[in-house]
Amino acid sequence: MAIRRPRRYHIYDSLPKLRLEKCWFCSSTCYPGHGVTFVRNDATVFRFCRSKCHKNFKMKRNPRKVKWTKAYRKLAGKDLAEDATFEMERKRNRPEKYDRELVHKAVGALKKVTAIRATREARLHTLRKSAARDAEKAADLRELEQSIHLIKAPGVLAREEEERLRESVEELQQTEAMQE
Amino acid sequence: MPVYNFKSMGVVPTAKDLVDIVLSKTQRQTPTVVHNGWAIQRIRQFYMRKVKHTQTTWHEKLSTILEDFPKVDDIHPFYSDLLNVLYDKDHYKLALGQLNAARGMIDKVSQDYVRLLKYGDSLYRCKALKRAALGRMCTIMKRQGPSLAYLEQVRQHMGRLPSIDPNTRSLLVCGYPNVGKSSFMNKVTRADVEVQPYAFTTKSLFVGHTDYKYLRWQVIDTPGILDRPLEERNTIEMQSITALAHLRAAVLYVMDISEQCGYTIKQQAALFQSIKPLFANKPVLIVANKTDVVALADLSAEDRALLDGVAAEAAKVSAGGFEGDKPGSNLIAMSTLTEEGVSVVKQIACDRLLASRVEIKLKSKRINEVGNRIHVAMPRIRDGTARPPIIPASVLAKKGLPPAAPRPTERDLQEAQGGAGVYNADLRKQYDLKDEAWRYDIMPEIADGHNVLDFVDPDIDARLEALEREEAAAAAEFEALDTGLADDHLSQAEWEDLHRIRERKKRIVADNRRKRAAADNTPRIPRTLDAPRSRTAERMKAELGALGLDA
Repeated sequence: MAIRRPRRYHIYDSLPKLRLEKCWFCSSTCYPGHGVTFVRNDATVFRFCRSKCHKNFKMKRNPRKVKWTKAYRKLAGKDLAEDATFEMERKRNRPEKYDRELVHKAVGALKKVTAIRATREARLHTLRKSAARDAEKAADLRELEQSIHLIKAPGVLAREEEERLRESVEELQQTEAMQE
Repeated sequence: MPVYNFKSMGVVPTAKDLVDIVLSKTQRQTPTVVHNGWAIQRIRQFYMRKVKHTQTTWHEKLSTILEDFPKVDDIHPFYSDLLNVLYDKDHYKLALGQLNAARGMIDKVSQDYVRLLKYGDSLYRCKALKRAALGRMCTIMKRQGPSLAYLEQVRQHMGRLPSIDPNTRSLLVCGYPNVGKSSFMNKVTRADVEVQPYAFTTKSLFVGHTDYKYLRWQVIDTPGILDRPLEERNTIEMQSITALAHLRAAVLYVMDISEQCGYTIKQQAALFQSIKPLFANKPVLIVANKTDVVALADLSAEDRALLDGVAAEAAKVSAGGFEGDKPGSNLIAMSTLTEEGVSVVKQIACDRLLASRVEIKLKSKRINEVGNRIHVAMPRIRDGTARPPIIPASVLAKKGLPPAAPRPTERDLQEAQGGAGVYNADLRKQYDLKDEAWRYDIMPEIADGHNVLDFVDPDIDARLEALEREEAAAAAEFEALDTGLADDHLSQAEWEDLHRIRERKKRIVADNRRKRAAADNTPRIPRTLDAPRSRTAERMKAELGALGLDA
């Protein structure tokens, strides 16, 4: 009887050879072969997707205050911040035993989750716009009222007003006659 | 216990040099100018300073010498005896004592003369007093010349003494001259002791170091000893005797059974008898050397009997024997020329010494510090149930089987398939998977800018389903919502008006900017020369018409 040797646990018994990281400054993906990785003396690792982010970092800018970064946008509520879709995509530190079915499902889930996240972001943007919409409408009406003198003389305005009133009165009388 | 470092003693200058040093120091470090016309107190101070400075310098120099030299009474008895043998303890103590006395005398001289200087009434008188004081101090030291010279010689010799640690594990090699002690030393350690055919080649103790059982062992080579009463022994032999007397080491009594050294086995045995008292409480080994010339078996019966007698005596006297020792077990044959038996001798000697040291340590009080660390606790018996060790049946079954044939290792597989650079090891062979078909799968690590591993989760189905349900509900809710984004607050006509207003505003702003940019650049042209004639009636009619007025 052969001695049972302890068998390797997992198909990726070490970390995967390739992993996409997030840029420290703008939170976009750092693809391999791009960007700069800076390791500080206290062993904190900063990854940057391009020199723009790297240079901003060297200028000691706070990404939370720089308008075009994801950090700012999430903080200011312009982009989706907390959501169930983010929970689905989380770096897990305990590897699972390899299961082809599971990986297959994971790839499918990946696509669906990304799609759902996109629709949710779009919804958020729409809601933001609608919140600002009322103010916009009010501004339009105000502009129309105040600046009409630029295209119509005051006398003309009064005349048009009279005409419109007469027309609406006539309409009203007609509808009353039809109802009777 | 520190190993004494006699090399770090400072040089002892001769009396003449010492006098020169001290006086020049005083000359350099005290003011040199004094005038007749100064206040008498100042003159006195000047000379008193000189005297005191000289005294302190003498005191310092003599103190350093006295402190450097070890006090014979304060050091390990081995070293004190060795110093006695080499330099005569009395002479040594006398020399140091004289220096000490000289130091005291110089202090007194200085004291006296400083007191006299306090009452010096002229520069000449003070100067004479100072000269007298310094002169007396220097004469005292000049008389110490012989002591200083002797101490310097002692110091030079002491610096070259071997650094023997009297408390660590040591093997002491002794015997008649020319039996092969230094050869043994050369073989066992890295020491390069002179080996020559004449007697007393080794004239002093030599130390070598060797390793056994991960410990450092000192091997001490001694000069040969002759069979004489103690009083008649010369300095060289006395060194061996000192080492034998004071060092707690394993003794290797080397005998030359071929009698090439010039002494018979009988004489060697006799020597052993006479120095036997020195071997008390030490593990003793009788080493029969030069077996390449005469083997142990080829000895005559009486010689053999003598040897065995010596071995028996050694066994009686020595310590550190193992229980159940055979009578001849401390007699070992070796040959330093052919190197056979040398390592056996070393091994047995070291083992015996270790055993005796352990015994002594066990008897001492220090065992309590370590005792709790080497105690193995056994549970107290509390009832009659037997609790034997549990051994699986498969192990018991295997016990009788012959050992399994060696399996082919991965290394063998590599060599069989082309060697290190050619063969690619199959690392996935041993993977433990639910389905064998998955063994050589290539798993995607990245998809659509995301890491696949971040999504792998055992309960992924449930979570995805929950998410989709949530999403459906949210979508329905959103549909029902009135976002208010439809542009229904203005009619078509109003939109057109608004558009025209905005155009007009832009126009006004652009015109203004143009005018401002050219404000002071263009000259005022009088109306007679106004070619474009921008102020015309047609223009007015058109503009008013645009506003809706009928002009």
